[in-house]
Amino acid sequence: MKFTHTAMVAVPRAKVWAQVMDVPAAARCVPGVASVRPSGNGKYEGTLAVQVGPVRLVLDGDLAITARDENAGTAALRAEAKDSRVGGAIRATMSLALAEKGGETEIRIETDLAVMGRLGEFGQAVIKRKADQLMGDFAECLARQASAR
Amino acid sequence: MTFEYHEPRELGPALDLLARHGQDAHLIAGGTATVLLLRQGLLRPGHVIGLRRIESLGGIARTSDGGLRIGAMATHRAVERSPMARAYSPALTDAFASVATIRIRNQATVGGNLAHADPAQDPPPMLAAFGATVTARSSRGERTIPVADLAVDHFTTSLAGDEIITEVVLPPIVEGTRAAYLKFLPKTADDYATVSVAATLRLASDGTVAAASIFLGAVGPTPIRARRVEDALRGRARGDIGEAAALVGEEIDPVDDARGSSEYKRRMARVWTERTLAQLLR
Ligand SMILES: Cc1cc2nc3c(=O)[nH]c(=O)nc-3n(C[C@H](O)[C@H](O)[C@H](O)COP(=O)(O)OP(=O)(O)OC[C@H]3O[C@@H](n4cnc5c(N)ncnc54)[C@H](O)[C@@H]3O)c2cc1C
Repeated sequence: MKFTHTAMVAVPRAKVWAQVMDVPAAARCVPGVASVRPSGNGKYEGTLAVQVGPVRLVLDGDLAITARDENAGTAALRAEAKDSRVGGAIRATMSLALAEKGGETEIRIETDLAVMGRLGEFGQAVIKRKADQLMGDFAECLARQASAR
Repeated sequence: MTFEYHEPRELGPALDLLARHGQDAHLIAGGTATVLLLRQGLLRPGHVIGLRRIESLGGIARTSDGGLRIGAMATHRAVERSPMARAYSPALTDAFASVATIRIRNQATVGGNLAHADPAQDPPPMLAAFGATVTARSSRGERTIPVADLAVDHFTTSLAGDEIITEVVLPPIVEGTRAAYLKFLPKTADDYATVSVAATLRLASDGTVAAASIFLGAVGPTPIRARRVEDALRGRARGDIGEAAALVGEEIDPVDDARGSSEYKRRMARVWTERTLAQLLR
């Protein structure tokens, strides 16, 4: 499943870059994320709580920045997480691109998400919408934080 | 799967249990949705509250003003076969009859259906088009919620965690109102809708449309009201509906899934909206 999200921030690109590369701080922009901490080798561990109707999921996993190019303003991230109680996992690769547009910065995040195990039972429509909401809120929150700095 | 099962005979104790255990409690009505979630371990409540012995939650009856009251624990099959529901509107019984199979309809309840809030379900768009409301009770009191405002997202309602749906109330039908429920099922007859359209329509004495209420299922995170289509229809004559139906595309937000691409569903939403309107204006 693929999604693209964009948001405009009225802040220069370098500032947004620094903010996004501060993973624990940026992760707090994802609703439901708790306790993100570095686990070495450029990786971070954390948990994400998601509610779909009556079902509450707690995804435990890690996130790594697999490539970054500050000059180009691009980075690649990989996230893997599982809910061992329910029996399901997600794997996401994200590519981030920051583009300066007339003094403002466009944040563009492309996500490729795979959902495995029981989580798949929810059906694509629900998963897509949840992921959409999360990434949408994330991009908006980054935009808010960046402008506030 | 271990939980304590409660089966109170009155609503009061059920509300108390729900208030006491909060998120650790889960209601079960017919169980068609809940048992699947429990089995898969997606739901792990410490307390399950069965509603089936609460008599006040049952029954189907005409209201004194000519409307219809359906108890939350009435099954889909009971509504489908109810002479009172049919007298209210055959489109209502059609919507209930188009749910899954007889086995499911014998088990699944109206309250469970509305609380489950899968956007591809059949009864909610029809109930919304009739302007129905649900009554929700909690130990804090009672409130009335339009069915159109009940679902807020996939599988998510505006009900608070301590509320129980006690009934669905349909208002009296204005004389001359026509209603229809059409469900597009390209695969098998017992499937969920690819697109569904519920509509009520009233004609003025000159044959133009005086009022319309149109809701679509399976093309967004909740049943979707086709307001632009409703507005465009008002004052129009029959035979003049294709243009209005085409506006449905601006209202809906279907996603790609096993029942078709979003583009296909968009096209089908227009076709089935037009068909529904054509049937009502025949
Ligand atoms: C194989 C299959 C096919 C299906 N096909 C269709 C279809 O084609 N069309 C369609 O419309 N539906 C379909 N359904 C869905 C079906 O309509 C719902 O599962 C059913 O309506 C839920 O009702 P229930 O009484 O079994 O609810 P339950 O499973 O007992 O409960 C469902 C949810 O509602 C809550 N709940 C129940 N009663 C109340 C209440 N009074 N107040 C507050 N919350 C309550 C429960 O806590 C639970 O979260 C299908 C289901 C299955 C299993």
